Amino acid sequence: MKRGFKFLLFTAALALLWGCYPQGPDYAEEMDVVLTTHNDEYDFTSKATYARPNRIVKITGNLEDGEDPEFIPDPYATKILKMIDDNMAALGWTKIDVAANPDLFLFPASWETTTVFYWYDYWGWWYGGYYPGWGYGGYYPPYYMYSSYTTASVMMTLIDPDVVGGNGNPLPQWTGVINGLLTGVFDETRVETAIDKAFTISPYLNTK
Amino acid sequence: MKKIYIIAIVALLAAPVFAQSNYTSLQYSIGFGTGDMKDFIGQTSFRGFTIDYRSMVRSDLGVGLDMGWNVFYEEMEDAVYEYNNITYSGKQWHYSNHFPILLAVDYYKETSGKLTPYAGFGLGTMYSLQNTDMGTYTFERDAWHFAIRPELGVLINVSPGLDLTILGKYYYGLKAGDLPAQGYFALNLGFVFGQF
Repeated sequence: MKRGFKFLLFTAALALLWGCYPQGPDYAEEMDVVLTTHNDEYDFTSKATYARPNRIVKITGNLEDGEDPEFIPDPYATKILKMIDDNMAALGWTKIDVAANPDLFLFPASWETTTVFYWYDYWGWWYGGYYPGWGYGGYYPPYYMYSSYTTASVMMTLIDPDVVGGNGNPLPQWTGVINGLLTGVFDETRVETAIDKAFTISPYLNTK
Repeated sequence: MKKIYIIAIVALLAAPVFAQSNYTSLQYSIGFGTGDMKDFIGQTSFRGFTIDYRSMVRSDLGVGLDMGWNVFYEEMEDAVYEYNNITYSGKQWHYSNHFPILLAVDYYKETSGKLTPYAGFGLGTMYSLQNTDMGTYTFERDAWHFAIRPELGVLINVSPGLDLTILGKYYYGLKAGDLPAQGYFALNLGFVFGQF
């Protein structure tokens, strides 16, 4: 009896502890992350103009020679580009045409990453229901469950065409990345908040 | 250090030979971080348990094993963090799991009443696993610490073979692996099954 009580107490304590293990975020927007990095020897304050493409390229990782890159749909790109321009203007930058010899180029890009994880009764294919007490007998092919999540990122890179690396390619002087969990709808507020934050945490971009 | 381990292990293995009795204790544990541990998570942990086993080698001396789990958690405010020239911003969730496994010696003050105060010392290892979650990413650090643990407590006899206990333990794991020294105070409440 006493042994049974001890076991019960121990099991209940474990179950209680496991059940109340902290679970982290409750809402998708809580998982939005902004990251910036810059060349701290570069003097942004001596620059004033930038140019950028009118579309946001979508990095898919499977582009083959001769193929055109994908772009994110224009309605979304237009809004995102305006958010970027507003922030640049607030920091004293002027957007000019690429042919007008800008100080910097701003390259926007985006990508999505889907993570799939799954689990299944991997022994089910073999015993095939011989041991029905095990719970999943009778499922063949194996009964499995899966879940996934997709995150989207927008990256903004400022490049000085006159500053190149050893391989002759221009070096990024500032990079801002926003990353968040996709929820199936374009949440303008979340995107705007994150883009604003990328510039807010980069005070060295201020040319005023 | 190796000698201390060997002596402790031999003492533990030999204990049942001389043992007059033994007991097992299951305890709910509340944790309060200190030092670097508190810097990482300032919140009190209300998630923890301890299992103690003691073999009484004398009527006032018990040796045995001390195992447990305390998990600390804190949801940090949306903040800006800097590392070299990288700046990142967002919410963070900090988790810190600690699994002490210690050889323990307790001295019990013999009294005629229902209360038996005791003091103990533990020596062994503590596995710590810390996660910083941000976005969909987690940054994980872990370590097996060499750990010590002083303890003070009191047993309250309820019936033959059953006591309640209230005790305080201070776990301190020395700097190891990816982690700095980890220390926390645990306030435990529990049942004690067995004879003294």
